[in-house]
Amino acid sequence: MIELLAITDDATPPEPPLVAVRSGGLSALCAPAEDAAVTADTLWRREAMLEELMEDRDLLPVRFGTRVADEAAAARAVAERRTELEAGLERVRGAVELSLRVHAPEPADAPPPEASSGSAYMHAKATRTQAAARLHEPLAGLARASVVRPAPELLRAAYLIEREAIEPFVARVRELQREHPALSLLCTGPWPPYSFAEDPS
Amino acid sequence: MTGSPVAQQDVALVDLLDRLLGGGVVIAGDITLSVAGVDLVYVGLRALVTSVATAEEKQLPR
Repeated sequence: MIELLAITDDATPPEPPLVAVRSGGLSALCAPAEDAAVTADTLWRREAMLEELMEDRDLLPVRFGTRVADEAAAARAVAERRTELEAGLERVRGAVELSLRVHAPEPADAPPPEASSGSAYMHAKATRTQAAARLHEPLAGLARASVVRPAPELLRAAYLIEREAIEPFVARVRELQREHPALSLLCTGPWPPYSFAEDPS
Repeated sequence: MTGSPVAQQDVALVDLLDRLLGGGVVIAGDITLSVAGVDLVYVGLRALVTSVATAEEKQLPR
């Protein structure tokens, strides 16, 4: 079995033990499949491989854990989705993914949820939505694309950022943190474009 | 992300798992990894992230 890590249209061969399986103008970057238990270390090692590949080429990360029997099966699987994969590569070309999570403190004097009225609940919810939008919108304006995920935090979002726009984006995150000292903004990356590999719209 | 200091990697693991579980392009093949296994890693590291975040953020991820 081999594991599919990423799809690229760059012909640069990867370092062993990775192999590039060609299919038309696309390549599936594959590694020998391992049966070891998944730990944080194995996840970070896989991530490090992808990030190294990402330094030299545009790529689409493949859904974690995708395995096929052999190189011929990998080539067939790529051919089946050629159109979407080519469109995906155009979508992320020259860009990386940055992640943002924002935690808001709970008001200390807030009544427990069951004690508050329906309208108070709706009001609190609308206020949270507005607060999240005030953070998300200026950042989305700097991004080629963005997605907001449902999350317990005030905001959990991913932004597709052109490489030369990483610095301005991070600077804007710092500004927002200064403007909102009660919130905690946690920005991580640059990640391979996991959240934009499939068309997010 | 992989070049960060250890504590930052612990915090970032939540972001990595978020991406691994929900992101990436779907290609025909077997997904051999059990979701139960990932959930275990996720739960275990959430606890770790909580302790790191407490010091920094005064607000626990839930």
